[in-house]
Amino acid sequence: MHIPDGFLAPPVWATLDAVALPAVALAARRAQRGLEDARIPLLGVMGAFVFAAQMINFPVGVGTSGHLVGGALLACTLGPASATVVMAAILAIQALVLQDGGILALGANLLNMAVIGVLAGYLPYRLWGAGRLRKFAIFAGGALSVLASAVLALAELLLSGVRMAPSVLGLSLAVFLVSALLEGAITLAVLQALEAMRPGFVRRPAGGASLALGAVAVAAVLLSAVGVLFASTAPDGIERVLGVAVADASWLRKAGTGLVGLAVLFVMCTVFERFAAKRSA
Amino acid sequence: MLRRMLEARARPQGPLDRRDARSKLAALLVFLVVISTARYAFPATAAVMAILLAAACLWAKVPLAEALRRAAVVLPFTAFFAIVCWASGDAERAIALALKSYLSCLAVWLVVATTPMPALLRGFESFGAPRFLLMVAQFIYRYLFVIAEEARAMALAASARGSSARADFRILRFRAAGGALAVLFARSYQRADEIHRAMLARGFRGRMRSLDAPRFQLADAAFAAAASLIAVGARLAAERLV
Repeated sequence: MHIPDGFLAPPVWATLDAVALPAVALAARRAQRGLEDARIPLLGVMGAFVFAAQMINFPVGVGTSGHLVGGALLACTLGPASATVVMAAILAIQALVLQDGGILALGANLLNMAVIGVLAGYLPYRLWGAGRLRKFAIFAGGALSVLASAVLALAELLLSGVRMAPSVLGLSLAVFLVSALLEGAITLAVLQALEAMRPGFVRRPAGGASLALGAVAVAAVLLSAVGVLFASTAPDGIERVLGVAVADASWLRKAGTGLVGLAVLFVMCTVFERFAAKRSA
Repeated sequence: MLRRMLEARARPQGPLDRRDARSKLAALLVFLVVISTARYAFPATAAVMAILLAAACLWAKVPLAEALRRAAVVLPFTAFFAIVCWASGDAERAIALALKSYLSCLAVWLVVATTPMPALLRGFESFGAPRFLLMVAQFIYRYLFVIAEEARAMALAASARGSSARADFRILRFRAAGGALAVLFARSYQRADEIHRAMLARGFRGRMRSLDAPRFQLADAAFAAAASLIAVGARLAAERLV
């Protein structure tokens, strides 16, 4: 879901631009390390591949078909930093040439799909990609990447004041869930075929993590996604919980409570993670 | 999709084509911010902005009908959210969403149609975007057509072999599509390797060189300033009038 210009409120797109652009720059620096100039044609051609891959349809149900989005697939083959760079370049080209996504909203789209989408897609693979849960990890990565980007995009729109009836919200979440499962299945099918063809293509993650720790990490991603959505649909709820009134301007209050909610979630997850790590050590 | 990418360049040159990419990008950013931050009485502001953009199209010799048609690609997305907004009783925002997204799209198209892709990416580089990222983007743009042609040929070959004849074996067809993508992936990977070696043979040292160094002339600065002032002034005037 590429957000066009005109949908996001100025504070929302400005904040997201300020967050996403340094994140992408950091990923570019990390991706550049190592193989230097050999990476440029590789990443470019693989980006063209992701574009072209959308022309091969996967049969889904009666008369409908889906196609690959690609974030998780690239993360498993090229590594997360390179995948972020490729997705960012694709999003920039789509925004410029096809007007698929806005220019001011580019930061939002980058954060949703190139940064968080790729990281969420890589997380399960990093955790369980080496062990016997490998298939599930690939599937979960594909699904999680699409789900995380879609939920974030929805939350950004809601934060900007686009109103949606709860039934419509539920319906669109259901649609996102289906396309997330589809992306997981496609990613798994392609990676399995690739491995059968030439195992060297698919990166092996360094080491497996324990099941519990991984479950906590994935749960944290899901929880924060739900939290962001909750924060943006019902800022009043969080305000009541925290007992703060940030400002009088309604957008500032909304954005402020959203960020506070996010921070609270982050702290909660960090504390929980520390706790879990101590227990497992 | 590919035709949409190519048709951008197939037209006569106008005065906007001669301006430096940086000045056009700066003017575009100002215009987009002006539209995005406009809050009240948006239909009046939108009318003024639409007239401005139409005039700019005529001045730049960008076919107006085509520009209007191209900017309409945003409408399906917008329509969904506008209807949802309207249904939950916020008609004013629904209208503003549709107008804002359409006008922004029109403005972006005006710049993209008059600027070659490499110049546009160079413009972003001077705005601080990482060069590595922009070079990757340039490569994507260059090889998009090559790989897409390969994908199309593969899809054609698959349907010639009867891939769509039997819909009963969904799982098998799903697997087959996965295999096709894997083959495309491997071919792209190999092609990237060949391209890299060819580039090294031609003296590539991690940086693309260009013969026509972009120069930021006085006219470019004047254009950026004038376009920004007109956009801001038009909005202020429209809001004063209402």
